[in-house]
Amino acid sequence: MTAARGWPEPGEVVLQCERVMRELGGDVKTRILHEVSVSIRAREFVSLTGASGSGKSTLLYLLGALDRPSSGRVLLDGVDLGALDDDGRGALRGNKLGFVFQFHFLLPEFSVLENVMIPMLRRGRRSRSSARAHALATLEKMGLGELAARRPGQLSGGQQQRVSIARAVANDPKIVLADEPTGNLDTANAEGVMGVFESLVRDEGLTLVMVTHERAFAARASRQLVMQDGHIISDLDQRGPSDG
Amino acid sequence: MPRVVLFIALRQLWARKLLNSIAVLGVMLGVLTLIAINAIMQGFQVKFLDNILKISPHVVLLDKQLRPAPPILARFLRRPVVAEVAHETPSDRQLRINRPLELLRSIEALPGVVAAAGSLNGSAVLVFGPKQYPVDMRGIEPVSQDRVTQVSSYVTTGSYRALTGSDGIIVGAGIAQRIGVRVGDRVSLGSPLGQTLSLKVVGIFDAGIPPVDATRVYVSLRDAQAILGKPDVVGRVEVRLATPARAADVATQLEAVFGYDAESWQESNANFLALFKQQNSIIGFVIGAILAVGGFGILAIQIMIVLQKTRDIAILRSVGFRRTDILTAFLLQGAIIALVGAAVGDLSGHYLVRFLGTMKTKQESLVRSETFLVHDDPKMYVYGALFALVVGLLASFIPAWRGSRVEPVDVLRGQIG
Repeated sequence: MTAARGWPEPGEVVLQCERVMRELGGDVKTRILHEVSVSIRAREFVSLTGASGSGKSTLLYLLGALDRPSSGRVLLDGVDLGALDDDGRGALRGNKLGFVFQFHFLLPEFSVLENVMIPMLRRGRRSRSSARAHALATLEKMGLGELAARRPGQLSGGQQQRVSIARAVANDPKIVLADEPTGNLDTANAEGVMGVFESLVRDEGLTLVMVTHERAFAARASRQLVMQDGHIISDLDQRGPSDG
Repeated sequence: MPRVVLFIALRQLWARKLLNSIAVLGVMLGVLTLIAINAIMQGFQVKFLDNILKISPHVVLLDKQLRPAPPILARFLRRPVVAEVAHETPSDRQLRINRPLELLRSIEALPGVVAAAGSLNGSAVLVFGPKQYPVDMRGIEPVSQDRVTQVSSYVTTGSYRALTGSDGIIVGAGIAQRIGVRVGDRVSLGSPLGQTLSLKVVGIFDAGIPPVDATRVYVSLRDAQAILGKPDVVGRVEVRLATPARAADVATQLEAVFGYDAESWQESNANFLALFKQQNSIIGFVIGAILAVGGFGILAIQIMIVLQKTRDIAILRSVGFRRTDILTAFLLQGAIIALVGAAVGDLSGHYLVRFLGTMKTKQESLVRSETFLVHDDPKMYVYGALFALVVGLLASFIPAWRGSRVEPVDVLRGQIG
């Protein structure tokens, strides 16, 4: 299935940071990231942990083309994200990336099914009926098929987060970036979300970068990055040493 | 524009029905006012101009020569001469149109001219029994004059054709009412410089313009010449055109060709036209202000929605929507609010105009009418919709622009939203 999607082979570098620095603020700058370099390979499940303010979310936003580095480069499939304009980065996000946030960020006026369909419709590679069928199939795979017609407000927190995962993966992204996806869930729902992620990486061949505070969930990733004060202080690859 | 942008715009509009209905109401009131006020203003103006154009000629050639003919001696010698005519009497200087029949034929041959008729006007006093009444006398050739101003269509009692014989007079309905004359009565009509004739009332006309109906009488040209003491004089040539709007051009052309002062109907009614223009400007300003208020309604509501939807904008941007998509979605919402408001305003405006047209009222000023004068102009519905659309787009541009500038990362970091 993955070959048909044109996805990269396992081990191939899909996302790369080269000496990325990020400063925030006006006259008085605060350095959030200090020349971070890291490579993400295809079909990796990478966890990113660290204390609050360590720079993990900032790094995730830079990897996801949601932010620009103050210096250094972020490459997605060899394309320098910093060289793209707003529309170029928007198109790239829509075509290659999927996002899951701590707060599900579903659109309240739209049904669950429509929330999943909207990124596909914007990408324009599927007809409306095809997008609908694919979104429904994705929801069913996650056990949400019966909730397709409901509005997000009618779902539990765990269900909403699973819908946001469905939205992220239904558009056939190369990489899914998740920012504390379990941070707002109870243990049972958080476990359910982790199960979905593990299944997507294992069975669908997805590349996943997940920011989390939960050490237990981070330990379930194939590769664990630990950040502190804007630096990656640990890069533990359970399948072998990293070159990033 | 991707269809999904329209889908999102429509759904978000529908999700805030109450708020957006208020914005629609603002636009609707603006368009309704535009249509209703214009219908009332135009109703009066169109009726007045319509009546004026029926009862008045499109162009009048007056007896004032712009380039007096050179003296006979100069014409004979073909060079300027100094000439003085001693003992010239006032009657020798009498104003007139020379060789009127030839001139009429020449004018009627001009392109765009439908008909022309010679006439003589003057002030006279109408006497009926003990009552005396000053009138504006029009001496006409009934057949040719009717082709120019269609007086016959306004004759409500008696016969216009009866004027063709001598000693007949057609009086305005206002005059008849004031001095109590009826068809068949004999009246006297005279002026200080000519004769007083005893005339038989052969008709009463009602042009629907009180100032005309209360002052004007028609007699034959020959009788007018006798009453004014101007035998064989034609004082003016009245012209009817195929296109009344061309009257000013034709007047200029007639002046150039025939050397007499010519006046278009626009020039004759310049005071009224200037007044109408001023009225229209004021009304335009008022309507513009009302629609602008509707626009501010859209602006306020859209700004509120953009502020509320910052998080949704961020999520849309993060899943691949461009800045232009966000801009387009909010502009679409503004345009839809404006168009729905315009459609409802057009529809309710149409019914309001119809209702106003049936309202009983009595107008006796420049035009006479039993009902409210309205003119249901289809153009106004289109103008209303276009104006509303422009206002809606302008009003939603600022919030749309603001929405399109939302940086998803700022929302995700919790700095806004």
